[in-house]
Amino acid sequence: MAATQQALLPDHILGAVLALAEKEHARQAGSERLAFRSHDFHLQDIFSDLRKQYPILKAFVFSESGPQPYSPILNESVSRLQLSGLIGRENPDYEVVFVRPAANLFYDEVVKESLDSSEIKQLDQIAVAFLSRVTTV
Amino acid sequence: MENSSVPQSPTLASRVNSFVEWLFDGFKPTVPKRPKVFNDALLGNLLFARHEVAVIDCPVLQRLRRIKQTGLVYYVFPTATHTRFEHSLGVATLAERCFNAIRERSHVEGTAFGADGDRSRGDLAHLRMAALLHDVGHGLCSHASEQIYELLSDLQEFRNDPEYVKNSPGEILSYLIVKSPKFQAWFHEYVIQGCQADLNLERISNLILGRIDDPDKWFLANIISSAYDADKLDYIARDSRYCGLALTVDLPRFLSMISIAKYRDSRVLVLRNYVPLEQILFSKMTLTGSVYQHQKVKCLDSMLRSMVGHIVDNAAQTPVPVRGRFISFADPVEYLYTTDDEFFWQPNGFGDGYIQTMLARFRYRDLFVRCLEISRRTVINWDDGRQRLIDLNKQPYRLAEVEAEIHKGLSANVRSTCGNHDIRLSVPGIPSIKTGDALIQTSKDADVENIERYFPLEQWTEAYGHNKWRSFIYAPKEIAAAVRDAAIPVLEKYTGLKMDAKKSNQACHL
Repeated sequence: MAATQQALLPDHILGAVLALAEKEHARQAGSERLAFRSHDFHLQDIFSDLRKQYPILKAFVFSESGPQPYSPILNESVSRLQLSGLIGRENPDYEVVFVRPAANLFYDEVVKESLDSSEIKQLDQIAVAFLSRVTTV
Repeated sequence: MENSSVPQSPTLASRVNSFVEWLFDGFKPTVPKRPKVFNDALLGNLLFARHEVAVIDCPVLQRLRRIKQTGLVYYVFPTATHTRFEHSLGVATLAERCFNAIRERSHVEGTAFGADGDRSRGDLAHLRMAALLHDVGHGLCSHASEQIYELLSDLQEFRNDPEYVKNSPGEILSYLIVKSPKFQAWFHEYVIQGCQADLNLERISNLILGRIDDPDKWFLANIISSAYDADKLDYIARDSRYCGLALTVDLPRFLSMISIAKYRDSRVLVLRNYVPLEQILFSKMTLTGSVYQHQKVKCLDSMLRSMVGHIVDNAAQTPVPVRGRFISFADPVEYLYTTDDEFFWQPNGFGDGYIQTMLARFRYRDLFVRCLEISRRTVINWDDGRQRLIDLNKQPYRLAEVEAEIHKGLSANVRSTCGNHDIRLSVPGIPSIKTGDALIQTSKDADVENIERYFPLEQWTEAYGHNKWRSFIYAPKEIAAAVRDAAIPVLEKYTGLKMDAKKSNQACHL
């Protein structure tokens, strides 16, 4: 365990959504492993929409200039979750993102204790909405 | 005391203006009589118009001669002494080459171009000027100090603003310099009036941020800021040339493959083929692993962080003298006042004993050494995740807490010979690509698609993170073994990572 409580970072929110989506996927499909097709630009579209409904996603600030909404913070968070070993991408086309066991561990042991019940409820709802927007494999 | 009498901290914009006034103090502006050709080792003879020479000769650009393009990299790659100045000249030139290449392809394909190619007014003139000025917000040691000041609150406010979220701290400071009343007044008198250049600084400053009002001309903003902008074309070629790496950016091939296309109500820059981008990304990843995140370069960055941290903590005792004033790195603008040359090479040095010792370390290249390597090769439970380690990259206060805890864990004898600032945990970021505007259209009638449909951009960051990314703990060599022993339990406590000390020792030659 960490020596002191972690401040909540955008990476933690994204990691929590994916960990909870995996739990929801297990409930819905009976599969313990969540893997879904998605490039970064898909995630940008999904979170740009979800952010309008869920205040907990406000850290993912989207640029309003340019032809499409784009959040560099989300882009960086995805990269850092990969670097942290919480999510991975599968060969050969790297289109399939999968959630590693470390993501659940990190959510249960570190992130959850920084969240109150209303935030957990929001994240649960986001996880369900997220699952409905991706193609699981 | 009433609230009204409490001095209010001036806004970032106003502090930037004070900096520009300070910079222009003593400068005797003139109107250039003729154009100028610069001989560049990378791009050849570069021709600049009279109004551009005025800007090149002004202190805002001349200051960049004293800021190395790759920060402290030249301590590892001795020929990497190129500066932000020549890079800026290169970006202006490459921006025009991109502009001309798109115009030529539009002509060949029979599509509308819709941009004006005059050098002293219109789109091309604005594009070149934005390219010339895009880096004026760089400070001491370029990105090495940007990594330190980007987390200061002033800039975080910008980073949380949808208008600026896409921009780096350096870009935001460049924008504020160009928007400053002092620069605007000088520009109006000596560039617009003196050289009869029909330029709009509002438009130039927006281009620096990679945006433009007219959606039909969004491709101009892409030339300044995108996955394959003129900046990247120049720095990849220039950095690899001056570091002595045999990397290639096939510029003619790239220029023959760029075009413009309608995409979601805007006309954007697109590639006709992904191969030139593949080459750019390969070179960027190689540079990142071999140069920008070379273990000794990260060590040098960490030593700079030690000095800056000490100066911030002891502002009254160790201010940095810069022409007529003192700075203490308390806010992002203070990193603009000093340059690499002025900070490291003051004839009599400056600061207290610690700063003098550190300056001597740089002078004699007596650098800190690796005590611990934290990577998949040296961590036993790497697959359990390392989020708490990666988090430290964005949590400087927590990073400092870990370093202080390691210091506390040293024996009293060793502890008395060093301070917290002598123990540096370096947690590098991961190279990023602006994927949002990396678009491909294989022919003029084909759909515009995100580059990821053709080329696995994410694979590169995934592979880099898996194979090459490493974190280190550095310290002076006299105490390296002691720091290693103190760091292992602290690291496990804060990050959950269990070190294989033997493997780390082999990696660190300890």
